[in-house]
Parts: sequence; structure tokens; C-alpha cells
Amino acid sequence: MTLSLAACAESDDGGGGGGGAGADETGPIKIGAVLDITGAGASLGVPERQALELLAGQLEEEGGIDGREVELIIEDNQSTEDGAAKAMNKLVNEDEVDIVLGASRTGPSLAMRPIAESTETPMISLAANQAIVEGSEWVFKTAQNDRVVIERMIDYMAEQGWTTVGLARDASGFGEGVAEMFDEIGAEQGISVVATEKFAPDATDFTAQMVNLRDAGADVNVIWGIPPAAGLAQRAYDQLGIETPVMQSHGIGNQVFLDTAGDAAEGMVAPLGRLVVADQLPADDPQKEIITSFIDDYTAEYGAGPSTFSGHAYDAWQLAIDALSEEGTDPQAIREHLEGVTDFTGISGIFTMTPEDHAGLPKEALALVTVEGGQWKLVPDEGN
Amino acid sequence: MTDLLQLLFAGLSQGAVYALVAIGFVAIFTVSGVINLAQGEFAALAGLVAISAVGSGLPLLAAVVLAVVSVALVAVIMERLVIFPVKRMTTLVSLILTLGVSTGLKALMLLVYGPNAEGLTPLTPGGFSVAGVSIRYQELWILLIAGLVSLAVYWFYERTLAGKSLRACAEQPVAARLVGISLTKASLISFLIAGTVGAIAGVLASPIYFTSWESGLTLGLKGFVAATLGGLISVRGAVLGGLLLGVLETLTAGYISTGLRDAVAFLLLIIVLVARPAGIFGRTAEARV
Repeated sequence: MTLSLAACAESDDGGGGGGGAGADETGPIKIGAVLDITGAGASLGVPERQALELLAGQLEEEGGIDGREVELIIEDNQSTEDGAAKAMNKLVNEDEVDIVLGASRTGPSLAMRPIAESTETPMISLAANQAIVEGSEWVFKTAQNDRVVIERMIDYMAEQGWTTVGLARDASGFGEGVAEMFDEIGAEQGISVVATEKFAPDATDFTAQMVNLRDAGADVNVIWGIPPAAGLAQRAYDQLGIETPVMQSHGIGNQVFLDTAGDAAEGMVAPLGRLVVADQLPADDPQKEIITSFIDDYTAEYGAGPSTFSGHAYDAWQLAIDALSEEGTDPQAIREHLEGVTDFTGISGIFTMTPEDHAGLPKEALALVTVEGGQWKLVPDEGN
Repeated sequence: MTDLLQLLFAGLSQGAVYALVAIGFVAIFTVSGVINLAQGEFAALAGLVAISAVGSGLPLLAAVVLAVVSVALVAVIMERLVIFPVKRMTTLVSLILTLGVSTGLKALMLLVYGPNAEGLTPLTPGGFSVAGVSIRYQELWILLIAGLVSLAVYWFYERTLAGKSLRACAEQPVAARLVGISLTKASLISFLIAGTVGAIAGVLASPIYFTSWESGLTLGLKGFVAATLGGLISVRGAVLGGLLLGVLETLTAGYISTGLRDAVAFLLLIIVLVARPAGIFGRTAEARV
């Protein structure tokens, strides 16, 4: 799956100036991407691929980076850890890419991390779990950390006066450590998890988990997963007639969730990127312009709007292009550039990276969103 | 008590889908000794055909009929192209051949329908609640139609001359040919039945359990386990095996751990193959190995 972009100028005038001494300054700049295009993560990986292909096409029209061709190589990891590691190895060793984007989900991203670290290849993951970048040197990420998501959710729970939480979480990397983090962050407000249920990312029947949540009798239940599983779980929850309010994670920001959950999603609350409620943002929102123009371009190309996941891909691509055009292809220079990113306005939020924080998004990057009449709706809340 | 009933009901409706897939395995195996690993793909394909037909504006019932007919046709074509030309068919050869077909069908579905999982519109949307147990109308449809289809297939194989002559092909191929039963025709009919039953399972399950290009894999494996519980040659055993598997899975998920859910089928398979290779419901006299 290779998308090759023709160079507009053959001349090689040294790129964006100041490429490191050992950097390869000839031939195309290569960006690799490892995405969950098939398998359980397909509802994430497909829009991410579409966003990257759109952006690569736009860059080609602009003539690449300072006239240098940019080649995008996309690999499908089939939503598996070993697939991700294999794809990462291929991109680094065979294709010799300058930077890698992906993977779409936590598990595959974690499988790629040691390869990025040992081969000193800059990598920007699109997944959520903080463990992907914790203590990393070469790995960055664009999806909001699960920690800031949980902070946002705890704020809302405290506002509502809820103290006990029932959790049904994804059994894969995305849900790993979530219950512990709820307890840790919620401790101050006296909020704790009283029941934890798990489901496989490709599960289809959720009766057992939801029955157990019902019996736990918590103030609020949290479903932590990605569509379609998250949507089916929401449906099972509604179908069992459980009246307790339900919150979901930022893993559900796409149309697939609305389609799978249907009416059952009405009233559910989730912290999501602003992309899904772009039309409801105030005119002075600093992200409004960039989000709106991405939505317009994406919709014009694919006939349907983008998801928050395509937003994560957009941000990773822009961060990569920014670093490549400023620093050339020297990996160390790219790494240092990414680490110094300050107030970089993206789709998922405004990024400020530091050597300690390779995710760069605060909890303000998330808006509390509900579903009304099958549409995403901004929740009136002090943080929004 | 409410929980137990709820779990039992969820398990039965899931089990009914396994049962239908299992009948497909049995229908073919009893006639030609072929284990058709593409059985799960029949269900997935039917679901996807129906979803895309509804998406392009066809009424639900027409879409369902279209899906069942086209998958039955696929099964028949498969038999003619892949099974019929092989002169000396053994169960091992059949496994390899049908695994190939299954992989091919999966790739084709991915290509045509894309990687996303989707659900078909339910026959009757919504549901109701009895004594705290929530029931979806679609689940009732699954149980009802699965029951009728099982009865029809059972009646065909056990009570009609045509069905009996099909089974004769497997038990005494030479004698069957001597009395004028066409082996090739029998194999074709068995694939037609398996395709139809698999397709019905696919369109019934899709509204609740969703369909994607790869959902046939799990469904096929579970169906195979269910069929094996019944010794692979008994329609009644396959149905009971499917229901038992569905219920055990949900109870395991509810009372032990959701992580063990998918392990149940294979634990069961190992136990049965070791302890009772003829199936837990089968009489040992029925063993044909």
C-alpha cells in the first residue's frame, strides 16, 4: 500500500536548512505509517489512512517539502501486536523511513515502541494509553492521554456528585490500567471504582458484563472501549434497561459509534476532541478554523465527515511535516524538534511537548459531549 | 435469579446461531465426509450482502431473501468448482480445500465491503422486559427461525427418502450408487442446504452480533465445536451442541470471567474429542470413524 508522490522539482537544495550532518539529503523524504486498517481497530485505522492520504495529496500539490518529494508508505498491522512490530521493522529496515506514524491503538503502538527506541527512529503514535510515551525518548503521540481523559471525567463526576464508578473496559492495551487510574485521580474527590468488567475488542455479546454492572449499583457506569464494541456495549446497557448514567471514553469519536449504538447512545456523556462538535464551537475558539478547514477538505474528498481518529492522524502528520521541514531528515534533530513543540494548534488540541511529556495535551483538549437526536452535542459544562 | 435468566436467554439466542452454523457442517459431513471450513464465511457473506442491499434501498425482507439465495448459490458453485472435481476426496483434503475457499471469500469480502463491522436492520426493532429479563424481538426471531430450520433439516434427512438416500451416500457409497443414488448430486444438495442454513444464521445474527468480513472465523469455529459435540453426523446433536455452547459461554462470562468466554468452546472441544469422540449426545453406534 504505497502512495508515491511525484516531486515537483528535481533539484535538491538542501531541504529546509540545517539538516544534521549525517542526514540523507537526497531522494524522497519517507514517512511510514502503521495503522489498524483491518481487524478490531478498523473503525480507527480506516479514517486515519484516509486523512493521511488526503494530506499527502495536498502536500504533493504544494510541491513537497521545499521541492523535495515526500513519500507516504502505509502498512496494515491487522490490529495485532505482532503485525505492528513486523510492519515497523519493515518500514525502518527495508524502506528506511525518516519517521513513523501510528499505530492506531495502544497494544500495537506498544509493540512498535522498542523498535523505535532501539533504531532511534522518531515515532508518533495515534493511540491513547499514556504508557506508550512514558519515559520514552523517541516516541510521541497525538491522541489525548488516558490520564487527561480520566481527569476530565472525574471533574464531571464530582460536579454531578457521583462517587462510585462501575467500569466495563476493553481487555486490550487501551483499557489496561484504567481502573487504577480512576482510583488514583478520583481519590481526592472520594471517587472510586467499585466493579470492573472486561470485554475483548472484537466482542459481540455484552449481556454478562452489563448484568454484572447493573448488580454493582454504582452511581455512574463507564464503558471504556472503541467502536463497534463500545457501541454494542452501550446498546446492551440500554437494552437491559439500566437507568444509571453512563459515560464513555474518548475512544468513540466516530460515526461508527453513533451507528452501532443507535438510540441507546442518547444522553451518554464522553470527553471527546472538539472535531465532533466543530459546528457548535464559539467563533473565537483557537482550534475552530483549523478543524473546520480539515472537515471541509475531508468531506469534499470522501463524501463523509472525519472522525476524531482522523484528527489524531492529521496532528501526527502536521507535527511530522513541521519537524521535517524545519530540521531535514536527521533523526536526532527531528526528535529534539518534536520535544520542543510549543502551542501547536491541531485537531485534537493545542500541543506543548516537553522532554517529560511526549503527548503534549492538557485536559482542556477535551470537550464533554453527549448524543442528542443521533448527533454529537456539546454539554453545557464549565470546562467547555 | 433475574441475572441467571437473563444470561440463559442471551446464551440461548447466541447458541441458536451456533446451532444453525453447526447444522451446515453436519449437512455436508454426513453426505460426503467433507468438513467445510467456509461454513462461517457463508454466514458472514449473507450478513454483508443483506446489509449492503438494505443500504442501497431494498426492503429488508427482499434483502434477506437476496442474501440467502446468493449465498446458497455461492455454496453450490463452490461445490462444483472445488469439491466435485476432486477424484479421491478425504476429510484431510477437504479441510485444505475449504480452508482455501474460506480465505478467498474473506479476502473478497474485505475488498468489496471494507473492513468495518456493521449490523443489519432487525426484523422487528426494539424489545420488552419480562420479570426483569430484557428480551429483544430479534432474539425471539432467532430462536423461532432457528427452531423451524432445524426441524426442517432434521425432517429432510431423517424422514424423507431423498434425505435418507443422501445419508446412504456417506455410509455405503458403493451400495448407494448400486441402487441408483447419484453421489455427485447428493454432494451438491448438501452444499445447497449448508449454504442456505449458514446464510440464514448470518442474516439472523447480524442485527445483534454484527457482521464484518472476518466474523465468519469465530462463528465457523464455534459452529464446528457445536457440531462436534453432536458427533458431526447428527442434526439434533448439532442443535443441542450449539445451544449448550451458547449458554455455557454466557454463564462463564457472567459468573467466572469474561476473559474465559472464548476459551469455553475449545476446552469443551478438547474434552469431548478425548472423552467422547462420537459426541456427547450421539450413540456410540453412530460413530463412523
